[in-house]
Amino acid sequence: MDMYKTLPPLHNISGECVLQRAVLVRKKLSVKEGGGWLSGTLFCTHFRVAFVPQDSQRPDDNADPVLLGDHDVALASIDKVVAVGPSRTKLVTPNGSLKFTPEELVLYCRDLRVFCFLFDRLTPDAQVMEITYTIAKTYQPLKAGTLLSFQNSALGSVEMKQFLSNRRRDPNMNWFECSADWEQELERAGATGWRVSSVNDRFEMSTSLNRFTVVPHRVLDTELKKTFAHFNDGRIPRWCWRHPRGSDLLRMASFQNNIYHEKDDIRNLELVLFGGQQMCVIVDLGEEMPSPADIQVAHTRLRTLCLGDISSSVSVPDDKWLSTLESTRWLDYIRCCLRKAAEVACLLRGGHMTVVLQELEDRDMNCVVSSLVQVMCDPHCRTVAGFQSLVQKEWITAGHKFLSRINYQRDCDKEEAPVFLLFLDCVWQLWSQYPARFQLTEDYLLALHDSVQLPLFSSFLANSQRERCRRSQHLPQSYTPVNGLRELPMGEPEEPVDPPFPPVWDWALQYSSSRRARFTQPVSQAPCIPPVLNGNLNTNLERSWHSDGLPGSVFLLSRSSFSNPSNLLPWRSGNSGSYWKSHRRAPSAEGLSGLERLIRACSLSDPSENTTTLHDPFEPILLPLLIGPCVRVWRGCYLRGALHPQAFTHPMFSCSQHPLDQLAFEVQELGEKLAQASVRHPEHQTRQQEPRRLESNLNQNANNGTFLFSSRSSQHQPPASRATTRPTNPSRAPWTASQPSRSAQRISGKHTFLFGHQQESQSVQRYIPSPSAKYPKHPSKTS
Amino acid sequence: MLSLGGGGAKSTKPSFVSYVTPEEIKLEKELPKKEKHPDLLPGEVVFCSANPILKHTQDDHSQRGVFGTLFCTNFRVTFISDEMSQEETDRNFKNKLYGENDIPLTCVDHIYGVYDEKRKLITGGLVKNKYPSKMVIHCKDLRVFQFCLTYTNEEDAKKIFQGIAHHCLEEKSLKCLFAFSYEGTTRPDMQRKRDTILFDSPEDWAEEMKRTKTKCRLVTENENFDLSQKLPKYFVIPSIIVDLSSHQGKGLPIWCWSHHSGCSLFKASFLPVAQDDGDFQNHLDTMINAVAHNYLYSVKTEDLTESLPTIQDIQQSYNKFKQFFLIDNATEFWLSDVKWFSSIESSGWLDIIRQCLQKAVEVVECLEKDNTNVLITEEEGTDLCCLISSLAQIMLDPYYRTLTGFQSLVQKEWVAGCHAFLDRCNHLHQKDKDCQSPVFLLFLECVWQLVQQHVPAFQFSETYLTVLSDSVHVPVFSTFLFNSGYHRESFMKVESPLAQSGPLSCPSVWDWSLQFNSKAQNFFLNPLYSEKVKQTVRKPHKHKHQRQLSLPSTAFKTPTKKGFFKDEADSLKKILRVKRISRWMGSPDSPIAATWEFYESWQRRPLDYHGLLLPCLDGPAIRLWMQRYLRWIPEVHIMGGGSVAITSKLMELLAQVQDLKRVLEQRDSSQSAKLDKRTHLQHRPVLLGSAGHNSSFPFAYSRNRSFKPIIPTGLLQRIVLTDNLASQGDDVSEFDKVAFSDPYDA
Repeated sequence: MDMYKTLPPLHNISGECVLQRAVLVRKKLSVKEGGGWLSGTLFCTHFRVAFVPQDSQRPDDNADPVLLGDHDVALASIDKVVAVGPSRTKLVTPNGSLKFTPEELVLYCRDLRVFCFLFDRLTPDAQVMEITYTIAKTYQPLKAGTLLSFQNSALGSVEMKQFLSNRRRDPNMNWFECSADWEQELERAGATGWRVSSVNDRFEMSTSLNRFTVVPHRVLDTELKKTFAHFNDGRIPRWCWRHPRGSDLLRMASFQNNIYHEKDDIRNLELVLFGGQQMCVIVDLGEEMPSPADIQVAHTRLRTLCLGDISSSVSVPDDKWLSTLESTRWLDYIRCCLRKAAEVACLLRGGHMTVVLQELEDRDMNCVVSSLVQVMCDPHCRTVAGFQSLVQKEWITAGHKFLSRINYQRDCDKEEAPVFLLFLDCVWQLWSQYPARFQLTEDYLLALHDSVQLPLFSSFLANSQRERCRRSQHLPQSYTPVNGLRELPMGEPEEPVDPPFPPVWDWALQYSSSRRARFTQPVSQAPCIPPVLNGNLNTNLERSWHSDGLPGSVFLLSRSSFSNPSNLLPWRSGNSGSYWKSHRRAPSAEGLSGLERLIRACSLSDPSENTTTLHDPFEPILLPLLIGPCVRVWRGCYLRGALHPQAFTHPMFSCSQHPLDQLAFEVQELGEKLAQASVRHPEHQTRQQEPRRLESNLNQNANNGTFLFSSRSSQHQPPASRATTRPTNPSRAPWTASQPSRSAQRISGKHTFLFGHQQESQSVQRYIPSPSAKYPKHPSKTS
Repeated sequence: MLSLGGGGAKSTKPSFVSYVTPEEIKLEKELPKKEKHPDLLPGEVVFCSANPILKHTQDDHSQRGVFGTLFCTNFRVTFISDEMSQEETDRNFKNKLYGENDIPLTCVDHIYGVYDEKRKLITGGLVKNKYPSKMVIHCKDLRVFQFCLTYTNEEDAKKIFQGIAHHCLEEKSLKCLFAFSYEGTTRPDMQRKRDTILFDSPEDWAEEMKRTKTKCRLVTENENFDLSQKLPKYFVIPSIIVDLSSHQGKGLPIWCWSHHSGCSLFKASFLPVAQDDGDFQNHLDTMINAVAHNYLYSVKTEDLTESLPTIQDIQQSYNKFKQFFLIDNATEFWLSDVKWFSSIESSGWLDIIRQCLQKAVEVVECLEKDNTNVLITEEEGTDLCCLISSLAQIMLDPYYRTLTGFQSLVQKEWVAGCHAFLDRCNHLHQKDKDCQSPVFLLFLECVWQLVQQHVPAFQFSETYLTVLSDSVHVPVFSTFLFNSGYHRESFMKVESPLAQSGPLSCPSVWDWSLQFNSKAQNFFLNPLYSEKVKQTVRKPHKHKHQRQLSLPSTAFKTPTKKGFFKDEADSLKKILRVKRISRWMGSPDSPIAATWEFYESWQRRPLDYHGLLLPCLDGPAIRLWMQRYLRWIPEVHIMGGGSVAITSKLMELLAQVQDLKRVLEQRDSSQSAKLDKRTHLQHRPVLLGSAGHNSSFPFAYSRNRSFKPIIPTGLLQRIVLTDNLASQGDDVSEFDKVAFSDPYDA
């Protein structure tokens, strides 16, 4: 403990002790950090390799981030340690020995970051050797049991547990952990005819599903129970999202074979599948999409390509880069996912049908495609809060097997596949093509990408919601929630979260406020208008038609074509002769031509619509361009670690320190000055002007959902009545009354803008820890 | 408001696909026979015309097109649509000389004729008898036009086809180029006012020498091209050289630029292989000695022909490369898409760019790190020498990264430096195509790579580079019309009495107001340029641009190669005798390691956009110039997205900052005078209309709507298949209707 007095301070988390340190170390800064070198002191603890810059101030105890400083790397993220000597490089293994004193230490991380530390000549050799050995010994990525010890060293201390249990969850996002959350989502999407069923509350119907499922209104729980058996793993068709034009997106696993279809069952199955619509398109994600194994192979190849490892000295010649990139097939898979999602989005736009995503297990590609569709169609999902809700809805609670897919413990290599990272890359492609339509930024996606490799978050540490809930039940009750005001979900005896493992969305644990500020666009609107416009408008027609219980037509969308195989729905094809005649349905001619018309119309009208009518009441779909030159490598992610000196040039253009930031700030500052000036003077002309501009802003944004573009050029446009009518929308009123606190926040968040309203938007958008959440004390003070 | 959300199929917009074949349209529509005339430029003459011609807007087998009249003039092939297009008027970025339906004759790359569904390349001989049903014109600025000739009468069709083929493809003399008939308003008074230094007077050179503080000597003896016709009118050589006349000025080391340390960059052409070995040797010695004498007796010579591809290689590679972008059939493009990366790579164009930048970095390293003089040589000294020396200067000297600086650089190295633009661009459509090579385009490509890697360091934008690359093929500007200074002078002198209107003066390309209005010229400027603090007074002939000391002077470290020349002169001579030119003679170490070190030392310095810039050359860093190559392909346009989204927002914010500042200033200054400030805020220049633009703004226009599905998997084609399926299903559905009567039990 005495070393704290003399050294630049390492801001310890509780229970952490420093194993080794080295002075006079320089860290190579990445392009994003501005390039060049930073000198300071290197520490190695049980939990992380920390680097403290020389001139850093002593942090006060409440400073964030809690777990990792800006220059730190968690031991669990480290993949390889390479020592660079005067003339050679060596991969340092826990048991290996070094025959030379390293001049440079390179840490390759699992999240494709590379940390490079340069030792000074004045650094004592002993320190250099020791810290190299210590890091090599402690990171041990492959040994069983290390995961637990790592987690314990990070979060195991009493103070930390106390601290974490008092963290408040982000109220802006939807956690989908109680039925009210789902109802809120139904409300937001404007979906009627659906209800939240808690038939799986104790995970009796399906172990991998969430507690709550959204099913059609008219299916009773008792009837619903019978349908589970017909689907693989009991993953019945569940509602995900409703397009503003009135079609619903569902997802399900494949049908269970060899099961007898009773008449009642069939009725229920059809009901569940069709919702309130007359047409149903089943989108098969089995054959065309890459399998998890494919994704794993592609990602491994991409990794080796991008992360030129200096210890192996295998590198691709520069002139062969493009073809090698092509041969990894990673971009092909991205294209494949985006294409499928774009198809589904076009379909949904047609309106009045259910689109059901079907995959064998419903736990990988269904997650990717359903969430991509929503990112494309729903501007709310392009905000940070909306995106987090989306991941929560379609991935975490939906039972994506994070634990096996990420393979933290290296015990299920066969299952390992970075499906979630593929999804993030797809979102990045969308982002890079339409940066102005997103509130979130590349930095945010990167942060999420990196967090996946850190085995500390409840979000990623389980294969299903059941496992998550189980763990929380087995917890020792050594602490109690201090914050009693926290609302408990209806009928929930237990805490929904797992206190020792925080959710990944608690960004303050990992990122400092300055870095978190970069998660959102500098010039943007806060949470966007949810696409509630007319979700239940024209459903009446169908409703009446449907009330007879007549089933509609079913089509299969596979390989970009529609077909109607007779065995699409097993109960309709009917192996048993008695049902064959009465239940077989062929497509009616109108059905198909209608479908044809809508797809054609969508694909044709969409691009032109953007240009001709800027004020489309529907958010135009973000249809990504998928041809060769438009799908690109995520440089900011995969290539940030390249150590080639040329690749390391500092002046490369980076989006993080985007001049937009500075300019937006400048505009704001000047605006404030102006406002002040006009306060000082009697005339108020300019002040009056400010709100007017804001209003036109709002309308513009409400109309076409663009985030970045305020309507400078279209100020002549009269203020539309749309924005003012929305709050009084009768369908929203009851809910608003029942949930005053949340809705108040949401609505206030909805109308925040950068210009002139900075303080308000910050207070709503950015996460602020509750005052009761005390930071764990410095060990020297507590012990 | 509610009605907006009507049923899905109903609310779709009217699509623009024509389901009527053009033949039907023809029958329906009695075409009005009113003659339309193109707005001719002064001096422009119409050769022939034909009406009606169908111009295909998109070839996706939809046969959609616009009827109009096709003209062939002495400047361009132009198509005037019968329909009035309003879009034309409100476009910001409009070229005054030629519109979107105009093809300057020198801009035509290839013409294909479609005979009975077969496409044939049209050459001069094939023209005579038959005319094709469809004519496909590939332009050098990568546009593709398709004209259908079947609707006009045979005589007209034949005439227009032969006329176009003749004027675009036949070899012609320089006098036939439009520049010599063009009677644009030349303003001699305006010409001097331009900021760009043209390097056509001794004063220009003297200024440049003063700016770079060189000790070399300006040669004015060649003013009348007495010394050599291949040498520039004025040039600068090491002061020690006295004998200018031997070997017709071949092998003279011509000064390009001086580093602040004193070492300089020279370029030279090869000496003719002489019969008299001794004389040859002596001359070579003198020259190298002279270069070495310039600074510290150190010199590195570099033969560019040895390490870089030849100009024929460059031409071949570019021919392959551009084929990926000259798309006259959109489906082809979807097909090429699968193997996109490897096919781009196989053309080798990106690798050539990399090699050139690499070579320039090596030159920069010698100047910056070793402080040695560098002499680059080449057969003529006017192709790759220009390329490498200008690239090195851009990397080293921030002045050349400004708009005027860059233009001056092109004047100095390329125009005054006698780059054979006429031959390289093949304006005259000479049959012998060995001389043709896109060297200047390659230079712009390299600069573009630098620009996109170091955005804030350049005052000009990529749009500027794209426009410049287009202007090369517009036969109006004297800049790109001649092979050398002598060529220019002699031609102008001969021509001027014929014109009988004083000295013939073609405008320079740098007079951008000829092509674009001032609003459009705004797009040339990079909004992200980090301007130098109050030093950037860009007055002509007053070079306030002081070069920055990019790296601290390495004077304390004695240059390693100092004085090596004297010691090793003998061995040097031997090398020279064998290979005529040496390779890197200076560094015994492996050049790769040295370059690595050079990069590292550069990275350690704090970032300075007004200092040395080095490009990143590894695989992922060399990129495709999307704006130039993909701008005409609507399939690649991201509607309302792409980088233009950011740029337009930036420009908007910049304007806003300026406005607010102005308002604040005014408020401070005139508190008593109650001005309505609102007018100022609303008077903001609307630079970009934001969301309506696509990623290839400002080149592709909103007119270019994509008629192909965004989803490239051919949903539409599949649907045609399912149509059959539906008709098959009809009989079943009859059966089904019966079955329907048996409802599911409730």
